[in-house]
Amino acid sequence: MDLAPVLSGFAVVFEPQNLLYCLIGVTLGMLVGVLPGLGPAATIAILLPITYGIEPAAAVILLAGIFYGAQYGGTITSVLLRLPGEASSVVTAIDGYQMARQGKAGSALGIAAIGSFIGGTASIILLTLVAPFVANFALEFGPAEYSVLALIGIFLVATLGNGTLIKSVAAGGVGLILATVGLDPIVGTARFTFGSDQLADGIDFVIVAMGLFGVGEILYNLEHRLRPQPAVLSFGRAIPTRLEWLRSRLAILRGSVVGFVLGVLPGGGATMSSLVAYAVEKRSAKDPSRFGKGAIEGVAGPESANNAAATSSFIPLLTLGIPANATMAVLFGALLLQGIPPGPQLIVDHPDVFWGVVNSMYVGNILLLLLSIPLIGVFVRLLRVRAAILAPLTVLITMIGVYSIRNNVFDMFLVVALGLVGYGMKKLGFEPGPFVLAFVLGELLESSFRRSMRLFGGDLTGFVERPVSAVLVAVFVLTVVIVPVLRAVRGRQAARAEREVVGV
Amino acid sequence: MKSPVWSRTTSRRRLLAGFAALAVLPVAACSGVQGGKDAAGGNYPTRAVQFTVPFAPGGSSDLISRAAAKAAEKPLGQSVVITNKPGANGAVGDKEVLASAADGYTVGLAVKSLFAITPLAVKDPTAIQVDNMEIVATLNQEDYVLVVNAASPYQTLEDLLKAPTIRYATAGVGTGAQLSQALLFKAANVKATDVPFDGGAPATTALLGNQVEALSASLAETMEQIKAGKLRPLAVFSEKRSTYLPEVPTAKEKGFDVVVDQRRFIIAPKGLPEDVSKALNDAFAEARKDAAYDKFLKDNYMERWEVSDEEARQHLKDAAKQYADLTAKFQLTFGSGK
Amino acid sequence: MTAEESATPGERAVVDGTPPVTELPEGEIPSGGPGHAVLAGVVPVLLGLVTMWLARDLGLGTLTDPGPGLWPMIVAVLVLLTGVGILLRARQARDTEAFTRGAVVVVIAAASLALYAFLFELVGFEIPTVLLLVLWLKFFGNESWRTTAVVSVVATAAAYALFITALGVPLPHLIAI
Repeated sequence: MDLAPVLSGFAVVFEPQNLLYCLIGVTLGMLVGVLPGLGPAATIAILLPITYGIEPAAAVILLAGIFYGAQYGGTITSVLLRLPGEASSVVTAIDGYQMARQGKAGSALGIAAIGSFIGGTASIILLTLVAPFVANFALEFGPAEYSVLALIGIFLVATLGNGTLIKSVAAGGVGLILATVGLDPIVGTARFTFGSDQLADGIDFVIVAMGLFGVGEILYNLEHRLRPQPAVLSFGRAIPTRLEWLRSRLAILRGSVVGFVLGVLPGGGATMSSLVAYAVEKRSAKDPSRFGKGAIEGVAGPESANNAAATSSFIPLLTLGIPANATMAVLFGALLLQGIPPGPQLIVDHPDVFWGVVNSMYVGNILLLLLSIPLIGVFVRLLRVRAAILAPLTVLITMIGVYSIRNNVFDMFLVVALGLVGYGMKKLGFEPGPFVLAFVLGELLESSFRRSMRLFGGDLTGFVERPVSAVLVAVFVLTVVIVPVLRAVRGRQAARAEREVVGV
Repeated sequence: MKSPVWSRTTSRRRLLAGFAALAVLPVAACSGVQGGKDAAGGNYPTRAVQFTVPFAPGGSSDLISRAAAKAAEKPLGQSVVITNKPGANGAVGDKEVLASAADGYTVGLAVKSLFAITPLAVKDPTAIQVDNMEIVATLNQEDYVLVVNAASPYQTLEDLLKAPTIRYATAGVGTGAQLSQALLFKAANVKATDVPFDGGAPATTALLGNQVEALSASLAETMEQIKAGKLRPLAVFSEKRSTYLPEVPTAKEKGFDVVVDQRRFIIAPKGLPEDVSKALNDAFAEARKDAAYDKFLKDNYMERWEVSDEEARQHLKDAAKQYADLTAKFQLTFGSGK
Repeated sequence: MTAEESATPGERAVVDGTPPVTELPEGEIPSGGPGHAVLAGVVPVLLGLVTMWLARDLGLGTLTDPGPGLWPMIVAVLVLLTGVGILLRARQARDTEAFTRGAVVVVIAAASLALYAFLFELVGFEIPTVLLLVLWLKFFGNESWRTTAVVSVVATAAAYALFITALGVPLPHLIAI
């Protein structure tokens, strides 16, 4: 490939004003990422008018920085307060929050920052090398492929829990029911909306996550407020120990690859990538029972993956003109306003913008890493604030954040109701993780399956006739049917062998 | 950044706010207590105007609102503050706009499809009636274009209509994208299956990936792909040919009386004082002449739609009736249809 | 728990250094008996049944031409079955916790949040925010009045500065700056 435009892209990045915009972008992104409810999409939309007057490359560098900066920030609240602000950081909340409770918040956030940096940087390198080829991969993914992918995801969700399998499945099932609230995606019939417009578009994911995780946890702790909270004695340093690093090293690499590949897929790519990364780590671990109790790989893998995915989700936008998620849709608008139409011609007509933006991400990721390490030290101190003060502040930020999603009070009532559900679930031994993730994937599964049925004229064999879909079906059968059966058989044999040994 | 001032002034709120201000905090200026009264004095506006966008940030409706609001600030002499309140194709936000005080401090964006197409799909007894609102200004018209993948053998609309079956992508149920294609294929008596996606972008992706044979979408969503030679336009669903695609025939020219478009306008609660109404009309009329606003429309391949309140109202009623008649004639069902 | 332990840095490093609240001796959270284990199964069963009933009216269609009600119906059956499964194992289940008298506080807390939401657009966010924080800090958290006053006022002002002034989020508010 011709390296000249890539190198001249660096010249664009290192113009002082562009460096400054990059810094502003990632800092702002980190800030809105920390605040639950405020997403990068809304922030970018608010800032759009300000960018009219800035040069195109600078404007996009700024706005892109907000997007991937938010990915770094989102981890902080997931780990410290169990408030995942994005679907892709839900799995981080599982082991990350446990680590924080064990006094290892610094390590958790440190490894997340390092993992995010490596994942993001690896993804940019891959983007530079193979963007045009993988772009077409995104087009191979039609409704059939998404159906199978979502199905695999939902089965992975069931394995996430630490409680009994049946309760994980039940919680996931309820998440799937909740996902059907709103207008039917194919024929538009109102389902479970009870005649209210407020529910016509369904329930926003953030509300479900905030309710079940954040508010549910706070309500739960209130019940036993007279019982001393287990004191968090230390917070660790932001730099992980040698052992933690050794454990996470491979997780970061695997997560980066998973994230890059799945991030290219428009719609659900980032969420799936963090979920798949978690599942991969849990399955390849020597002792899977550590997961859910503060395993550092459970933070390192998914965090590397979601950051790699955030980066590779630029590929469809910049090379095909397809926005892969809500934030990319706003960036699409931003590019149009700058007179730089995103699409197949972008890289040819405006190489300075394309490579300027891509290369700015190297700088942005370095800046984020440098910002993160000292900030982690500041944020973990939050845990020193006693629960009686921290809880009301958390609940306040949650309520305001939830309001800001749609500027709608109705959503505040919803989050309180879901908080009570989360509290009840915890009392009765159900976990919120499977519920929330099934909620995200359920919508994808149902609508993709029904679209596929329309495309195939009602013929189920369509799923194995398309090459990519057939491969995914094979993966599904292998991971969900064959491997567990083999494991069960081997487990039984091992148990029998043990009994025989003991018997002798 | 300017601090937005909240201004849904109901008398009860004003009272509570005034009370609270006295009792609790040293209040610098209380938006609830101010305003309202001095509006009648003829010096409207004395504070910021709230502009509700009933769609999520970043879409065409949001962006045009921001462009128009920004351009209106100068003639209005006050800031215009955007609040996004999405839900149900704009019904959630617009109902709230219309329920607020008719003092000119609350306006909102509304779209034609909410009045002309949504009723075909969703039965809502509390739906906004065209006569129960004031149309402060009309903004734009956005045309739909029927496209196929450039690699497909279909060179003209006739070619496509000869296909044994057609699977077509739409941006969702109850959108102009869906209505235009459903009417066209029905009128042409072609066997066609509708595949709704979650918005225009995934629908476009499906056509690029050859998942479907055809797609109707707004120009903004498809023009770049058309220019890049990835998609081929076969017909536009406007009354006259689009200025952005002068080579492409209208469906009407091809003998199908299918005219579907999206239009956007600004509404306010009914019963605005006359001087307020005039001030708003004038401000947005001025805003439409703004150079940045003009550039916005061109960059997004939008046409201007600038007519009077009555004309706009009549257009909405006619379109609603026309679509209802056509769907009845072709026995099309949307939404709760079995 | 000894006095030394209760004076961990975590307890000290609070804004104003009030003495730690007297706390009850640590007790195990009472495990839910068979009643709770049964409840954990009954809830999914009921939820499944209600959803099935509602989904039936939506129109099921067939697997290859699904109607709006089919997927909710499938999921509802799944939830129903898991509920039955949980009921069958209720006797052995040890993973529930009893609802204690503290649950009343949970209900009050949730009600306070609902009231907060109700007042939010009516009178702007400032006053409800201060009131909510006072309730939680003083009555749920047993903080001193001084801490309560400082934290609730400072936090409200900080929220104003952050959300309204810095980020331009259109929160309903009284005070215009």
